[in-house]
Amino acid sequence: MIGLLYVAPALALVAVFFAIPLGMTIWMSLHDWPLMGQKRWVGFANYERMWGDSGFWGALSFTGTYTVAVTIGLLGLGMILALMVERPGRATAFYRTAYFLPVVIGFASASLLWAWLSNVDSGLFSPLMQNLGLTERRVNINADYGLAFWSVNVMVVWKMVGFFMVILMSGLQSIPRDYLEAARIDGAGALQRFRFITMPLVRRPFALALILCVSGSMLAFDQFYIILNGGPQNSTITAVYWIFNESFVSFRLGYGAALSVVLLGILLVLSAIQLRLLRDREDGS
Amino acid sequence: MSHNRLIGGLLLATVALPAPVMAETFSLWVRADGSNFMPQIVEAFNAQSEHSAELQIVPTAELVQKYAIASAGGSAPDALSLDLIYTPAFGAAGQLRDLTEFAQDLDYFDSLSPAHLSVGTVEDRIYGLPFSADSSVLIWNKDLYREAGLDPDVAPTTWAEIREHAEAIDALGEETYGFYFSGACGGCNIFTFMPMVWASGGELFSSDGSEARFDSPQMREGVEFYRAMVEDGLVPAGSQTDGGINFFAAFANGNIGITPSGAFAIGALNTQYPDLDYGVSYLPGKDGAWSSFAGGDNFVVSAATDDDKMPAIEAFIEFAYSLEGQRLLAAGGALPVRSDIAEEALEGLDPRYILAADAMTNGRTPFSPVFNDLINSANGPWITTLNRAFYGTADEVGETLAQGEAEMQSIIDDAN
Amino acid sequence: MRPYRILYHVTALLVAFLFLAPIAIVVLASFRTPAESGQPPLPPWPIEGASIDSYVRLDGFGASLLQHTGNSLYVALGTTILTVLVSVLAGYGFSRFRFPLKPMIFVLILATIMVPFQSILTPLFLLLASLGLQNTLTGLVLIYTTLQLPFSVFMMRNAFDAVPKEIEEAARIDGVRDLRMLVYVMGPLVLPGIVTVGLFAFLNAWNEFLAALVLLTDQSKYTLPVLMTSVRSGRFGSVDWGAVQAGVTVMMIPCLILFLILQRHYIRGLTAGAVK
Repeated sequence: MIGLLYVAPALALVAVFFAIPLGMTIWMSLHDWPLMGQKRWVGFANYERMWGDSGFWGALSFTGTYTVAVTIGLLGLGMILALMVERPGRATAFYRTAYFLPVVIGFASASLLWAWLSNVDSGLFSPLMQNLGLTERRVNINADYGLAFWSVNVMVVWKMVGFFMVILMSGLQSIPRDYLEAARIDGAGALQRFRFITMPLVRRPFALALILCVSGSMLAFDQFYIILNGGPQNSTITAVYWIFNESFVSFRLGYGAALSVVLLGILLVLSAIQLRLLRDREDGS
Repeated sequence: MSHNRLIGGLLLATVALPAPVMAETFSLWVRADGSNFMPQIVEAFNAQSEHSAELQIVPTAELVQKYAIASAGGSAPDALSLDLIYTPAFGAAGQLRDLTEFAQDLDYFDSLSPAHLSVGTVEDRIYGLPFSADSSVLIWNKDLYREAGLDPDVAPTTWAEIREHAEAIDALGEETYGFYFSGACGGCNIFTFMPMVWASGGELFSSDGSEARFDSPQMREGVEFYRAMVEDGLVPAGSQTDGGINFFAAFANGNIGITPSGAFAIGALNTQYPDLDYGVSYLPGKDGAWSSFAGGDNFVVSAATDDDKMPAIEAFIEFAYSLEGQRLLAAGGALPVRSDIAEEALEGLDPRYILAADAMTNGRTPFSPVFNDLINSANGPWITTLNRAFYGTADEVGETLAQGEAEMQSIIDDAN
Repeated sequence: MRPYRILYHVTALLVAFLFLAPIAIVVLASFRTPAESGQPPLPPWPIEGASIDSYVRLDGFGASLLQHTGNSLYVALGTTILTVLVSVLAGYGFSRFRFPLKPMIFVLILATIMVPFQSILTPLFLLLASLGLQNTLTGLVLIYTTLQLPFSVFMMRNAFDAVPKEIEEAARIDGVRDLRMLVYVMGPLVLPGIVTVGLFAFLNAWNEFLAALVLLTDQSKYTLPVLMTSVRSGRFGSVDWGAVQAGVTVMMIPCLILFLILQRHYIRGLTAGAVK
């Protein structure tokens, strides 16, 4: 029972600042709850209304697209970088630091930075492309869905890939050298060694990276809000962005709460699927 | 360090509060757009009154949200200077104090800006009093006009003339553009684009606000007017994603010929860009006539504000309405809201203000309880539709506007 | 060197350049004169001599740069200390003790990572108000600490799991118990984990902006990121990119320095957490 005492402060914080507000969110989702004025019990009307809310489903599908794109980028590139820097050594230590450095910058700062760099008049990208002769005129990156989407993806990869690199690297470093050596002597090629020794052994950190990456991306907001304002023409509004708009722009807190509850459900299902990947490690505890 | 200051503040507060004197301090919020005049007015008021106001400047886009949240937590400011279009929503929600008696007792009540009062009144009770005014106008760069061989003292009075002048200026060079507008900014376009449609006979809402009239012939022509200028390269590429951050700065940088703007720009240009030679005129309709958007702030008092603080707040309002207050307002780049002393208040200031003040008299303020959703939201139907139409092709304009109208209508219907 | 090694180093250096370039560009650009600061950063460094004018203009927003930096520091340090305290206790508890509902409580704490906290922001505010903590930096500290807990508790439990039971047994035979055990025996062994947890807490609290944006209504209490949103949204339809550059630099530098000093502990802590 003494263990409970150690855990109590954490539990108390989570209960007060997480569980109770979460319960309140569910309670609010059953109301017509304007930011100002009288609230009114409406039962499940907010949930029914959701079916016809094409904006929300559009935002959700955009979030899905973004999550897939950025997860592939982060984990793919993260793995490549991890392979590049896993060996000890002065040079690799420097590379590691360089790749990791953007991680410690906040999302808000990074987004502000990118908002400036991708600005057509005062930024870097458009004038640079023009000066290099790649484009004839200055192209407004943020005005085109494709360009804007990739620009944000590049930003997120730049900022976050170091984090996943380190997690994956830790997996690589835990692989006993003799395994790979033995396999090499047995005539296994580089690809085979990666496929049959490296991959299975980094599965655990990979699963952790995957969960962090997917749940983080599904909740993306700052970068699309700060850099693109959801534009061009609302094409980059994420699910959280939509909820934020409903709650704090249209002040429909009840409806926003209902959307949150649904988003939460989706995330839980996604995480449950991914947790299966992690399951074997929970057995021992 | 900030902690110490916090404790210091608490001590001060406990010492200051129970003192049974007449002097009262009230808290006052203003949006960042008012940061050019409000601090001066507050300072002057505090210097000469027994009462005092404690001012806080809030980022423009967050004022409503911050106020509502502070109010829910019981820490709302006693009074605030609120974008006038929000007064109906706040008043109807029971957030504001009824100021009818106080207002009607003012000698000059009849000369207060009618546009402000009309949105400040809910069911015959006055919740918002005119505080600062801002009208939309057309401004042009006289230096570029000279360079292009145009008469720098003659403003365009029709859309065809705007287009003609813009072309001449655009021809000056790669880095010079004929026209500018913030193509992703809802607030900017209701302020500057809509008056040009009004002046041509178009409307946005039916008179009772229950029907959207987005897809009208006049609106189509207006959109086509902008769209063609975009297509022909008279407008810089940045306008397409400008959510308002360049609304003023683009013109101020000196390479834009003409831009629809607001009276606020006069003060800002004079103080920050004294070398820029520019003219101010009315926003024209397609074939002449003109209109303007009557914008600005209403002064409102929170419903929860203590009765004890009312004398201080009333004293502040009366000070702001005095000649001195109105002069400070005008000197800070806003227009006076008392028409009887407007001319006096503007005396000695840039004569271009007179035109902007005049534009105010013919100014309109569209009213809708869901104004934020429809118009101001960066993701609302107004700006999303316009953005699509301005930067699309000619044959899509009609369809885009029809779609936008349907979206607007559904939001209006939803709210009722 | 074999050609393969050369190719490797050239590629790795190029990638390093790409990762460092945006940071270097914004820092250099922030020292340009007002006339240059609105121009594209080609080149990024000041041409007409360096100037700190962008920082002076940044100081003109809000209360004062010093005050907002102080607010940010208060929040970040408060969150760091509280997070370390709470998660070390919890990590130890989860790693070394049996108690009822343990797996459920562990999952409950971890689950908070999956909830978009934007969605519980309004209830959070109402809650803070009822505790008398609305519009206070302390309220923010409590919220940030809660947001840090899933990661931190997970990290600390893994860190404790990694310590061999024998060490504890030996200490116990010497008569060391409970909190003394935690502080004097286990503490040094899980230090890398503590550094990781503390650093993450500091960085996240320092950088967080949405909760601060919504929950702080008093300008004198704004943290740096909140200040920056008003710089970014500009005044009167013009944005001061110079002040944005200066602000981004001010927000970045402490994070970078802190990381460079502590990075060995930090990466070791992170990897230890990830593998176990």
